[in-house]
This record gives sequence, structure tokens and C-alpha cells, in this order.
Amino acid sequence: MRRYRKTAYLFLTPFLTVFIAFYLAPVCYALYLSLFIRKRIGVGPPKEVFGGLANYIRAVQDTDFLNGLKNMFVFGVVQVPIMLGLAILLALLLHQSRGFFMKICRTAFFMPYGIPTAIGALVWGYLYSANLSPFNQILQALHQGKIEFMAPAVVLFSIANIVTWTWTGYNMITLFAALQNIPGDLYEAARVDGAKTWDIVRRIQVPLLWPTLKVLFIFSVIGTSQLFTEAFVLRPLGYLADNITPNLYLYLTAARDANYSYAGALAILLAILVFAISGPFIRRIASR
Amino acid sequence: MAGYFCCQLIPSAGAQSSYQEPDYSKLKPESGPLTLEVWTWVAGLDKAARLFEQAYPDIKVHVNNVGAGSVEYQKVQTAIKAGSGGPDVAQIEYDFLPSFIVTDGLTDLSKYGVNDTKSFFVPWTWGQISPDGKTVYGIPQDSGPMALLYNKKIFDQYGITVPTTWDEFAQQAEKLFQATGGKVKLVDFVPTQAPWFIGLAWANGAELFKAQGDSWTQSLNSPECQKVLDFWVDLIKKKYVATIPDFTPEFYNAVGSGQIAASIEAAWGPGVLAASLNDKTSGEWQVAPLPQWSKGQPFRSGNWGGSCDVVLKQSKFPKAATLFCLWLNAAKGPVLSNWVSYGIFPAALSGLASPDLNQADKNPGKFCGGQNVAQVYVDASKAVNVDFAWSPWFAFVNDDFNKQIAALISGSMTAKQALDAWQEDSLKNATGDGYDVKGK
Repeated sequence: MRRYRKTAYLFLTPFLTVFIAFYLAPVCYALYLSLFIRKRIGVGPPKEVFGGLANYIRAVQDTDFLNGLKNMFVFGVVQVPIMLGLAILLALLLHQSRGFFMKICRTAFFMPYGIPTAIGALVWGYLYSANLSPFNQILQALHQGKIEFMAPAVVLFSIANIVTWTWTGYNMITLFAALQNIPGDLYEAARVDGAKTWDIVRRIQVPLLWPTLKVLFIFSVIGTSQLFTEAFVLRPLGYLADNITPNLYLYLTAARDANYSYAGALAILLAILVFAISGPFIRRIASR
Repeated sequence: MAGYFCCQLIPSAGAQSSYQEPDYSKLKPESGPLTLEVWTWVAGLDKAARLFEQAYPDIKVHVNNVGAGSVEYQKVQTAIKAGSGGPDVAQIEYDFLPSFIVTDGLTDLSKYGVNDTKSFFVPWTWGQISPDGKTVYGIPQDSGPMALLYNKKIFDQYGITVPTTWDEFAQQAEKLFQATGGKVKLVDFVPTQAPWFIGLAWANGAELFKAQGDSWTQSLNSPECQKVLDFWVDLIKKKYVATIPDFTPEFYNAVGSGQIAASIEAAWGPGVLAASLNDKTSGEWQVAPLPQWSKGQPFRSGNWGGSCDVVLKQSKFPKAATLFCLWLNAAKGPVLSNWVSYGIFPAALSGLASPDLNQADKNPGKFCGGQNVAQVYVDASKAVNVDFAWSPWFAFVNDDFNKQIAALISGSMTAKQALDAWQEDSLKNATGDGYDVKGK
């Protein structure tokens, strides 16, 4: 038994090396940094002094950060169900149909996932510009005014649209693969029992997709908490609030304001929050 | 150290005046061969770098455009914090320089004797890179005194006259609005470039930051600022001016397709526009002095942007890097080639005085129908308040401006409320970061 354990660690070494170097070590460093605060005397460079939990206390009172978290929740509650709903619908439709056209559709839906996020966001940034946007040009041709995609009240949903565009295809393919794994005799048995298509969807396919859906849901929740690239790329094109997503806010705290210790505290808090939300789901899946 | 760099008179071919340069031979670079990493977003700087390599064959220069403005600053900040990974030389705008000075990541160039080259540069630009008059954090590259760039073809078409005061400016904005049914706006109020607005407030006598010993004062909501913003809010409400973010495809499209008839631009603006529009509407433009608040007042302008080149402390070749910065911004070859074709307005006095700046067949002169563009900006440069200073937390101030202006344009704030909120947010950020700063 002990010998096997040694072998196991040997096999795990490549993974563990990378995991420790690029994951655990930075997390520990952020944790360490977050315990310091800056003291300034005069105009010179600041001194980093031990501040205990001062950065964490500042964070939970920071309305900008808290509003960033609120944006994250609004985003998750609106976007994740829409995206997963669309993905189920498309997967079921693709599973139901055969033929060349459907194969093209499958590839087309999946394609946005293959485009780097930054490039996708750049193209969407162009589509969102108030006057150049083809959407607005069509609307104006029909005398319907125009949509200010980058307006402060709208832009979160404009970002949600980009994320949905990128990730629906990915989720669809995963669900589609799960559907392929449902044994054919289940369908046959259902048909023999007189089940209509809708019954098969409701009683067989959706229940058997449930475990896959839960995993996709967790991935989406974690993805929501990490939203950054879309907002970062759209930012120079207009006004996007610093705290439109928590990740952008903590990036600006570090890279713009050079306040790495406070940014470290924000990152740790965000990670704890995401663990708290997704942890129970992961445990339930694992216990099955 | 006095006279370390003695003047060297180099007769310039074809021109009557003489172009004065520092004596670079006093600055001995590290022995090569070596390669300098230079971060800049000035188009065409690689061509100037080739000239440098010809003069100093042991030094290779790798010019890297890692993004303009904030995009570059965030990378430089991160490299300074990390202690490595940064360039030898980085371009930094004057308004952002204090936020780098406080990181202690910039080399004090005074130890290489550059203080003796002070007399070669426009005095106020030297004040920006040497706030205490001793330490030198960079070499001035360019400045951005402001003027009114207008499309003469559109002005003639609708009978618009060139405004000399802001009252006339508002009248002409209304006239153009009426004549075109609002299809053509006189100018764009830039909603996402705080330094553009600050430049206009600067021309109205505003001063935003003052260091007094160990403490600071900040006055973003001063009467001088409010007068300027009130003026613009009125024009925005009446839809006489556009509110399109600058440096976007949308802005260039609006300018290139004649939806915007004029633009308040810094000295580097005509060159940037000519390049960004790919010479579309080239030759239709003219530059006029910035409108004034009253007819009889002494002429005043403000400054938008302008950069210096700094040497990072982590550079392995600080002397070679200093030499490059000095040469790049004082030598005749690069100074003239940066203006001609790219419109980088020199901070070198000899550059400004050089008749070679006026080249009608090359941009930005060509873009402006052969006009002597540099002359208008040289006059504007002399009318810039030299005491204007920035603060280390300006990066936040800069971004927070966009937030307040977005609220202002959507109608949820008045000009006064927006400026008060700008002042308050920025004070909160600065004090939260440990600065001793008071509102004024």
C-alpha cells in the first residue's frame, strides 16, 4: 500500500509542481500582502507596515466593492439561467435532428467559444458603438431611435450578451454529449409505453441531463465571479464603472492605484465568497 | 558640474538659424553591445531609434508599443512592483508622472548631469519632470498646448466664422445646429478624457493640485473649473455639441464623415487625426488659437497631454538609457522627424524655433492645407500657465472624471454636483491611500 502511494505521488508530481508554483504560491503571497497597509510620510514612496485585518475591514465597508459584488449577483441571476436554458434547448433540438445542416449548426453555435475573449469583445465593442452599430443603423432606418449599449444602466447586460454568445455553444456541446450517452433502449421502452416527444424530453432527457447541468451551473457561477476581459476591453470605448465587475475593481486597485495589499485582500474575499456559494453544490454532486 | 554639457552649435543645412544641441559625448553609456527596451506609443519612433543606432552602433534599441496611456502605465506599475520585467525607457505623460515618482521606481537622472541640459527645453515642461528643481525624473518629449482645429470646408459651407471668444463659439455652435438640423455638431465634448477638460480649465486659470511641504491640496471643484463645465453643459443640453468618447472608431468616423466640424486639439492632435483618418479630409483643416473668455484678456491656453521619457531603476543600462532619452528629445533629427509626419510637438526649444517645423507637404501641415501649424501651437505654448502641477493619485482622478461626466450627460447630476462628487471621490481615494490632502 505504501509503495503504491509513493508511485501515486510520482505521477502527481508534474501536476503538483505547476499547481503549487502557479496557484498555491500566488494565493499565499496575496494572503501575505493583504496583511500590510501603506503609511505615507511626506511625498516619498509609501512604507508597507503590518496592518493585521485592516484591509479586510476596509473592504467590507467599501461601497464600491460591495456594489461590484451586487453587479456580479445581478449578472449571475439573469445571465446564467438564460444561457443554460438556451444551451438545453439547442442541445435537444440538435439531438432530435439529423443531417448535414444540423452538423453545420452545431459547429456554428460552438464557434464563438473558439474565438479569444479579447477579440470577441473588441468586435462586440464595435457592434455596441452608438452610431456605427449595425443594430442602431437598422433601428434608425426604421425610425426607432437607437440603443445606447454602453450607457451605465445597460452596459452590464451588453456584457452579459457577449458572455452568452461565447459560452452557450460550449454548454450546448457538453449537454449534447450527455444526451448521446442516454441508452437507446430507454427511448424504445418509452415509445412502447406510448410516450410522446414532449414526455421523453420531460421524463427522460432532462432528468438524465441533471447531473451535467449542475456541473455546468457551478462552472458558470465561478465564471461569473471571474468576469474581467469583456469589461476591460470595452472600457476604453466609453464609460464603464470601475466596479462593473469585482475583478475589474481589484485589478484597477492593483495596477492603476498600485495598492497591491488592498487588492490582495479583495481577491481573497472574493475567493472565499465564491467557495461559499459553489461549495455546497460541489459537495452534493460529489456525494452522489 | 557646471558646464558639464556645453553648448554645441550645429549649423543646420538649408536653414538660416542654428539648431542647438547638448553635448552628448559627456554622457558615457555602458560598454556595449547592448539592447535598450523602449516602451512608447508614439507612431514612428522606431524610425528615430534607427537614427540613434547609426550614431551609436553599440546600442540597439527595441521599440515596443505595449499600448497607449493607461494601458502602458498599468504594465509599468506592475513591473516596478515586481522589481523586474519593465523596459529601460518608458513614455509617461506629465499628468501621470507623480504616480510613478512615488513608487520610487524611476532613476534620478540628475546624477548623470542632465540638469545642465535644462536650458534646451521649454521651461514649464522641465518643471513637470523636475518638481523640486533638483531631482530629474525624465526628459521632456513633447507638450500639448491647445488650439481649435476646424474643417474650413464645412465652416465655409455653412458660413461659420472662426470664434475668438467662447461666447462667439456658443453662437456659432447654435448657428451650425440650426443650419444642419443638428446633423453637424461644432465640436465634440470629450466625455472620457479628463485631461482634455482639465486643459480647458487650465486655460481659465484653474490649478488642481498643490504640494505644500508634506501635505497636499486638491481643488477639482474650483470656480474656474465650474465656469468651464457650466459652459459645456449648456451646449450639451442643447445638443449643439457631440459627446463621443475620443480615440474610438466612432469618433474618427464622425470627424471623417463631416458630422463634427471642429475639434479642440492639443498640438499632437492634428498629427493623430491625420494618421487615424488615413488622410481622409486631408487639406480641409485649419488651426486657430483657442477661444478666450473675454475679448481684452491676455491670451491664454491650456495643455493636454505631452509626455516625457523616464528611465526605470531596474534598467541595467541607465546611462545608455539616459543618453537615448536626451538624444531622442534634443537632437535635431528625431525632434523634426517626430513632428513632421507624426505631429509630436517638441519640448526642445531649438525644435520649436526651427523653421524646418513648417513643412507644407507633410503632415500635420499637409492635413491643414499647408498651414504653418507649429506656429499656432508655439504661440499657444507660450500662453500656458507654468505653475500647474499634478498629484500622485491622478490615475484615480482621471478615471473618476468619466463616472461623473456619464452621470452629468445622462441628466442625473448638475455641473456643480458632478464637480463636487469628483472632488469628494478623489479626496476619499487619496486619503484612503495615506495622503495628507485637503480640499480647497
